[in-house]
Amino acid sequence: MAAGVANASQRGSVHTPAVTPGSPNLAVELGARAAVVCCGSGGVGKTTVSAALAMGIVAEYDKRVMVLTIDPARRLAAALGLHAVGPDPISVPAARLRRAGLRPRGELVAAMLDQKSTWDRMVERHAPTRQAAERILANRFYQGISTAFNGSQEYAAMEALYELHSGGEYDCVVVDTPPSRSALDFLEAPDRVNDFVGGRLLSWLAGPSRLGWRAVNLAATPFLRMADRLLGADVLRELGEFVRDLQGLYDGVQQRSRRVKSLLRSADTAFAVVTTLEPLPFAEAEFFCQRLREEAMPLGAVVVNRLLPGDLLDGRAADAAGFLVEHPRAGAAWLSEAAGERVTADTSRRLGAAFLTLHQLAVRDDRQVARLTHFGSLPLARLPLADREVVDIEGLATLTAVLRGNSA
Amino acid sequence: MLDELLSRRVLFVTGKGGTGKTTLSAALALLAARRGRRVLCIEVDAKGALPACLGSPPVPFEPRVVQPNISCLALHPEASLQEYLRLYFHVPRFTRMTPLAGVFDFVANSVPGIKDMLIVGKVAYEEKRMSSTPRSGARPQWDIIIVDSQASGHVLPQLNAARAMLGLVRGGIIRSQVEWIDACLADSRRTLLTICALPEEMPVAEALELHDRARAETRVTVGACFLNRTLRTALTPRQVRVLRQAAAPEHAEAAREHLGGELGPMVEGIQLAQRLAEASQAQARRLRAGLSCPVLEIPVQARARPGLATTRLIASALTAG
Repeated sequence: MAAGVANASQRGSVHTPAVTPGSPNLAVELGARAAVVCCGSGGVGKTTVSAALAMGIVAEYDKRVMVLTIDPARRLAAALGLHAVGPDPISVPAARLRRAGLRPRGELVAAMLDQKSTWDRMVERHAPTRQAAERILANRFYQGISTAFNGSQEYAAMEALYELHSGGEYDCVVVDTPPSRSALDFLEAPDRVNDFVGGRLLSWLAGPSRLGWRAVNLAATPFLRMADRLLGADVLRELGEFVRDLQGLYDGVQQRSRRVKSLLRSADTAFAVVTTLEPLPFAEAEFFCQRLREEAMPLGAVVVNRLLPGDLLDGRAADAAGFLVEHPRAGAAWLSEAAGERVTADTSRRLGAAFLTLHQLAVRDDRQVARLTHFGSLPLARLPLADREVVDIEGLATLTAVLRGNSA
Repeated sequence: MLDELLSRRVLFVTGKGGTGKTTLSAALALLAARRGRRVLCIEVDAKGALPACLGSPPVPFEPRVVQPNISCLALHPEASLQEYLRLYFHVPRFTRMTPLAGVFDFVANSVPGIKDMLIVGKVAYEEKRMSSTPRSGARPQWDIIIVDSQASGHVLPQLNAARAMLGLVRGGIIRSQVEWIDACLADSRRTLLTICALPEEMPVAEALELHDRARAETRVTVGACFLNRTLRTALTPRQVRVLRQAAAPEHAEAAREHLGGELGPMVEGIQLAQRLAEASQAQARRLRAGLSCPVLEIPVQARARPGLATTRLIASALTAG
């Protein structure tokens, strides 16, 4: 009908997807590396993407692949065979992958980050003596630090990545990163821990080791005087000893940090930035990509999750929907005939409007995704929004197919 | 239900990260202010998100007016430590904070309970604060204090901080302060905890867990749960069915001629939207079934950027619901 067609341009039937279709195979691109770091804000689906990506890599390469998850949902963890946090990685049986439709060429192993034991190992590795290590591990302040300190989980994830990578057991390590408001927390973790362990700021709290607390001029430090009253002298002394022991770790930790940062920069590593189109995570992702580019760090791919299905961009459907809205009686008449039951004008309008709302959202989303192409020819995967969460291997396999460039 | 919440002295707003608690805290502040209350908003993690939702740049530790009847402050760590020491220990303000700034993070995180006490201590201090004007005489500085708390895992120790300190401290000035704070939190006529959730598997699970733990482990009452970004379906199953039938391939030619377009792609998209709405409603039912407090639903505002306009939308949605 002429009227319907005449309004086509207003409804965007001339819209063409801003990013050229022809989806890349991220499993091939990223699986060539030894370390893949999945970054992004909390809640964008990093854990799911990490697992699906690792499955894809195992399907493309004859490699031993480890996926290190951070805080997986119970059912997702169970899907991978992870039932409890612990140091032991679990092999994901090839039969399970085959049942989900994959043909694994390599071997997949999964693990959950054990933050506490990663920190413990770090202390044991760098402490000057066995006794110093034991003192730290037994210290009650250490418990708070290794779990609550801002950045401690990020640092543990990096440590774990480095350990796994240098351990030689795996050809490719895919690392999930902790959920945080800022994806940069992960990059800044080594410096934060350095500063903290470095203890220059804390040295006055440590006090001169030969003379002990009482010799420190308390009159010059009202904070200490107050703390003394509030917490008791024992606490302060323990705190001081703890800080002195920590300072013993400094050289080792600093060297380790340098090596970790070096790994993150190398050609062996790729960063995969995961995001949705929600304003905050998306802004974080853009910022993060920008930062990686500025620091010449290996940005390998972008994964946009929870996208509206491509169908919704269809201009011819938008035309039909527009007609149903603008000519509801004619629309209703035609629908009644085609459907074989009576349809009201109101229904015609509602059906059309429902689709057009989704269509406009899809067009806007597509333009938003296009902003990510500013970072050059970066492989970009689009994962669809689904009505149920991914809680099993089959669900992961669906995402794996998309990440490998097959349409969902 | 809203009137119930807004008639309290202190509201803690918590929830898993990403569930919209900052925007919700700001919306509650707007609603309280419109009812003529003098509102203080406290941003616990000092990132500037809460003032931004109220149309303001980041705020300092001193309360700053951001909207009519609404003041906002952020708990900057060094500043809050300084004030805490000054108020409770009469330690004068330090002029050179630099070494202390570095130490604070360490001390606050390693000595159990200190950070939590600072937060709760500040809330309690503001609740007790009086102002005096020629017209109204002495009265509380604020009618209501809304605390945009940290993500769920952290709020419980805060609510318990006072009780934990009671266990550690024998007497003196600290004990009486702490007893008062604990009593304030436990009085449900003065203080309520509200939980934010999304209609998705994990956020609902966390909200339920937080609710149960708050009841079991603290003396603070859970007043309500805000379910954000709910989806409702605009179409009846019959309407969707009609579309599916009309979109059958045998009608495609006729559709092109009469409607000027194709119905096929419409079907997939609309069916997905229906399934999403159903999933959202199923999660809402699961949430209601597990809570002892009312659940207020706030429909999704498509990709709305955080800011005053969005906060106003949420406030309207709250009053409409």
